[in-house]
Amino acid sequence: MSEELDNAAAEYVLGTLPADERARFAERLRSDGALRAEVSRLQARLSPLDNLAAPTTPRPEVWANIERLTLRGAADVPGEPAASNVIALRRRVNMWRGSTFIAGALAAGLAAIVVLDRTAVAPVVEGGRYVAVVDSDGHEPALIAEVDTVAGIIRVRSLKAETPQGKSLELWHVAEGHEPRSLGILKAGLDAQTIQDATGPVDGLIAVSVEPEGGSPSGAPTGPIVYTGRLIPVE
Amino acid sequence: MDQGSTRTGGSLENLLEETSRGNHAAFRALYDAVSPKLFGIVLRITRNRSMAEEVLQETFVKVWQKAEKFSPEAGQPMAWLAAIARNRAIDRIRAEKVERSQPMDDVSALERLAAPDTGDPATREALRKCLGQLDDEARNCVILAYCSGFSREELAERFGRPVGTIKTLLFRSVRLLKACLESE
Repeated sequence: MSEELDNAAAEYVLGTLPADERARFAERLRSDGALRAEVSRLQARLSPLDNLAAPTTPRPEVWANIERLTLRGAADVPGEPAASNVIALRRRVNMWRGSTFIAGALAAGLAAIVVLDRTAVAPVVEGGRYVAVVDSDGHEPALIAEVDTVAGIIRVRSLKAETPQGKSLELWHVAEGHEPRSLGILKAGLDAQTIQDATGPVDGLIAVSVEPEGGSPSGAPTGPIVYTGRLIPVE
Repeated sequence: MDQGSTRTGGSLENLLEETSRGNHAAFRALYDAVSPKLFGIVLRITRNRSMAEEVLQETFVKVWQKAEKFSPEAGQPMAWLAAIARNRAIDRIRAEKVERSQPMDDVSALERLAAPDTGDPATREALRKCLGQLDDEARNCVILAYCSGFSREELAERFGRPVGTIKTLLFRSVRLLKACLESE
């Protein structure tokens, strides 16, 4: 690691970087695993200093706000959209929009595999086809979603998506500047399923959230977003 | 309180794992277990109660959404949670000009690090020893930056040094600390 980067990491952890340098460093952290590891190591080493702050109980209103933001839309709370999840997904759309072509190339590589695989079993339909490799922030893909705008369907193949007990996994399309739109529930235990969707999402993100059994009661994601992937055209 | 367990019986690790599965009761138990400590950390940095409350809210919303990112191999759950809270607090005070109360001095930090209730004993003792090897000014700069959110400019003013000198002092101190902690 360069001395300059090493110094920036030290000041990032101490908290003394000015706002613009801090934002640039945070941006770099997102794509640099070695730097992330270095920062985590230093944070862990200095963490005994965290214990020097006197514990202070926050006002009950703080939890009430957190509960409203995280539980909104659940069955026992009358539902507005889950603002925090919607915001998080919007941010992710923005992040993806400006982000690496490496991820795109990786997705394209996987898309090619999907196409090759499909040609063996089905004729390739000419027209708009898009694919998203949906994973948990760069980890092993959990599922692959293929959009066929001509047929008006989305084929979803589950690779390792696991439905928590008593919950449902819900699939969402998040177009830039739009609210997340539910594409339906992922049926637990199925390797592949086809979802009818005439609108044919062609860009933005495909995301999966954990919802109460049967799906989000509010029409917006209410639980944690566990997987996301960017839609890219299949060449 | 032991770093790994809570009064509700579940370890912080288990509570984080349950939270990542969307278990809101576990999330509440996690909040009950760690919010006073996290609030103490962010209050000390922001020195502004309403901002500290917002930072705590944002921290827990982030934890709800990102709990699956915690991996036990990466370290202690409390340190992971505190890093999220601290980073958010620092982001806010660096990005926004907000009225902050007078900073707290912490010249007694080294002595208080020796107290038995402050986390993993080996990590704590190593840090105490290595901080003790820095000269007073360097140690105070590190502690005031980390614990109380001092900027380079605030440190420069406090110690009557140019900002550039403070920057160099901070890099050098962290480098010395890392070398010392690695040899521990």
